[in-house]
Amino acid sequence: MKEELAKRIVESLKDAGINFVTYLPETRLSQIVPLIRDDPGMELIAAASEQEAVTIAAGATLGGKQAAVYMENTGIYVSSYSLLAVGKQLGVPILLIVGYLGGVGDQRNSFLYATIGNHTIPVLQGLGIEHTLLEDGDRLEVKIGDAVRAANALRGPFALLFAGEFSL
Amino acid sequence: MIRYNCLELLAPLVTDQIVVTSLSGQKIEWAHLSKHEGNLLVGTMGTALGVGIGLAVALPHRKVIVLESDGSVLLSLFNLPTLANLNPDNLIVFVFDNASYSGTRISEPTATAGRTDLATMARGAGIEKAVTVRDLESFQKEMTAALSENGLRFVVCKIEESKDHRNILRTDMDPLENKYLFVRYLEKSEGKPIIRSRG
Repeated sequence: MKEELAKRIVESLKDAGINFVTYLPETRLSQIVPLIRDDPGMELIAAASEQEAVTIAAGATLGGKQAAVYMENTGIYVSSYSLLAVGKQLGVPILLIVGYLGGVGDQRNSFLYATIGNHTIPVLQGLGIEHTLLEDGDRLEVKIGDAVRAANALRGPFALLFAGEFSL
Repeated sequence: MIRYNCLELLAPLVTDQIVVTSLSGQKIEWAHLSKHEGNLLVGTMGTALGVGIGLAVALPHRKVIVLESDGSVLLSLFNLPTLANLNPDNLIVFVFDNASYSGTRISEPTATAGRTDLATMARGAGIEKAVTVRDLESFQKEMTAALSENGLRFVVCKIEESKDHRNILRTDMDPLENKYLFVRYLEKSEGKPIIRSRG
């Protein structure tokens, strides 16, 4: 991903009110991590599992933060229980910032990723979690702002799936 | 030591602390003993400690108490290193360890019935004040210190398996209803909005 896109993602998250991010690092969007870490207006918490990242983000949200979880799409599978048992059951808005490996738009797709990626959107649909697919920087700021507003309005997790230019 | 007796000692000492519970017997017993508005009865296995960590980090000036069980902590062991490295000095974790999955009606042993020691695991993860208590007197001592002092504490309470909670009328509170009561209490006590309608 071009550095400019990483900066635009983080700026857009801030503009949308995100001030707390839990994460397990991955390959596609990793440049956002140091940008978030260095931003005094955002708190970054490293988790050992996406399942944990979701529960910590949920707790922070209930404590007044506007939280996001940054993960690889494999993390959707790992955290599906927390997304359902806490995110959906308690109705907690959480933005999911997802590196979408193995989708059609993944520019680094391979044997290793395609099978896993192929199930991401059906699993999100099965969990009842809405998503937006982003493949380029067009209207990036608007789409991130819309996603945070939707998470709050829906009172639950909302996923942003980053592929295309973001996966280069 | 019986869990209910521990919770009976804790309940009257809860004033403005936040209490997060996991599932099954302790949730039922705590909901019966405490009508504190700051109770969040998460009620699912392996999630309460993570939620408690998030609350403790978001509200560093507020004491957060997490009531966990051995089976629930074993399901979410990834919390231990994360908790150790965050080291929130406003978080107390009580793990009521009856060495069994007693919520299953026909109890099955957890790993702590065998060779596993949760306090040792917590210390290995980096939580300095991780201890085991085996009687009410020791529990009271640890509880009093934890409530009055700053610093992360992880207190494993070795208890007998008790099925007394099955005789307690369970709360009919919807988890969503509990969340709103909890959040509105926090909004009032923190003086800031938390759930806003932005749709």
